Amino acid sequence: MLLLKRCIKFGSLKTNKCIRTMSGSKIKTVLIDLSGTIHIDDQEIHNSKDSLKRLRSQNVNVKYVTNTTKESKKCLLNKLNGIGFDIKPSEIFTSLTAARELIEKIGLRPLMIVDDRALEDFEGIQTDNPNAVLIGLAPDKFNYKTMNTAFRLIQDGCPLIAIHKARYYKKTDELALGPGPFVTALEYATDTTSHIVGKPEASFFLSSVEEFNCQPEECVMIGDDVRDDIGGAQKTGMLGILVRTGNTDVIQAWDAYLPTVTICRGFPPWWLPN
Amino acid sequence: MSWCKNVKGVLLDITGVLFESGASEPIKGSVEAIKRLKDSKIPVRFCTNETTKTRQKLLQKLHSIGFSMTEGDVFPPIPACCQILKSRGLRPHLVVNPDALSDFIEVNQENPNCVVLGDATDNFSYQNLNKAFQLLMSLETPVLFALGGGKYYKEGSDLTLDVGPFAKALEYACDVEAEIVGKPSKSFFGAVLLDLGQPPDSVVMIGDDIVNDVGGAQSCGMRGVQVRTGKYRPSDENHPTVKADGYVDNLAQAIDLILQS
Repeated sequence: MLLLKRCIKFGSLKTNKCIRTMSGSKIKTVLIDLSGTIHIDDQEIHNSKDSLKRLRSQNVNVKYVTNTTKESKKCLLNKLNGIGFDIKPSEIFTSLTAARELIEKIGLRPLMIVDDRALEDFEGIQTDNPNAVLIGLAPDKFNYKTMNTAFRLIQDGCPLIAIHKARYYKKTDELALGPGPFVTALEYATDTTSHIVGKPEASFFLSSVEEFNCQPEECVMIGDDVRDDIGGAQKTGMLGILVRTGNTDVIQAWDAYLPTVTICRGFPPWWLPN
Repeated sequence: MSWCKNVKGVLLDITGVLFESGASEPIKGSVEAIKRLKDSKIPVRFCTNETTKTRQKLLQKLHSIGFSMTEGDVFPPIPACCQILKSRGLRPHLVVNPDALSDFIEVNQENPNCVVLGDATDNFSYQNLNKAFQLLMSLETPVLFALGGGKYYKEGSDLTLDVGPFAKALEYACDVEAEIVGKPSKSFFGAVLLDLGQPPDSVVMIGDDIVNDVGGAQSCGMRGVQVRTGKYRPSDENHPTVKADGYVDNLAQAIDLILQS
């Protein structure tokens, strides 16, 4: 019971037409992770379509936030809408979006070690005579020659931008190296630290809600990764709801975030209005 | 300069000290310098992290450019690693340079239960590293060996990634710590010192790598001197963690200073 009291709980919507946390503050924005939270591969998770429909009928902003490094926004949308979700381009904020924003803000011309499918999210970005290195998950491009080109650029003072630093990811029936090990290799070789743009970085969560003009305390993040989704959002002051689907390591979740996290079996339907 | 006084033994790095990587002639004065050193009866051994070729090929290369050391004078990581593998009953999955493979010929590689990472150059592909990663993740006690801890070396006119960063990549991915065989590992230097037969405090190590040659030797109680050849960069003289006992323009200058003292 103590846990329940301390974690967020949403009040009845029949009386006041908004979602509130237990402490009474109003939720203006809901951030939602994609893979492992609303779908796995081409399968919807646990009534999530219906839950999202009901969420939309409320007076809240919704943003889907994801750490993709391989798929462009268009690829993602095609996949999601193919499963039957009804998601608009403006509702998705990916680590590639965050990378592009950063590149444009500082005027960088990156050497792109990024999967070809993700390149369309960087259309129009100058890459001649590079003055930065951008790394995503790009198995076809992680070879000795490219790694050396990146190493020499960084050694000469170019910044290293990592879309994220995941150690590995799960393929259908095996684990495979993520971009993190390659970022680590370059950091070690050059005695530098990379600039990470994806989850769990605070800047990622804050940029994703920038357009809504709301405070972190008015946002809630729903995801299946206790460290990248929940931990990252909570560090900015947002609330976090962990779903027990996808990646969730429940034991780790309880150990690390017992006081503040809410764990639910699927995409949380219980806090939505009847 | 106190580093060159009372020197009773000398350890020398090879690549970047005797010759520049990729070059077909020795660094100026180094052949004659080693002759002078040998004539003076100060014992010398060669400690290298070279794993892009077999010990035999390395010797051939050295002889072809005028050096005359014997196999017993040269200490590369692979023979040391093979000894460790055999004594611990380990069967390696190798991510090494194809030119170094034959140095592992006597080691059982079936059904591997550890990973050995050398300076694999073009073999540092995603596929090869991923295979090593998957094997390590499948082992109850993952064991990863790195043949040396170097970050980079000089190849032609460019700095080039060495094995160290790729070992760090696998360490990060699998949450393991690599065992380094080669410089700057203490047991590696220890074996060479034993062969040299001199106490560490009367031995000087001369190399072009501020961390692995100089720092590694110093942490074993030797003096460490950096040459301004090979991968040397001026910023090495203000390195945040390692301060060499001396900096010299090249090997010839170092040997002259030792012999004059």
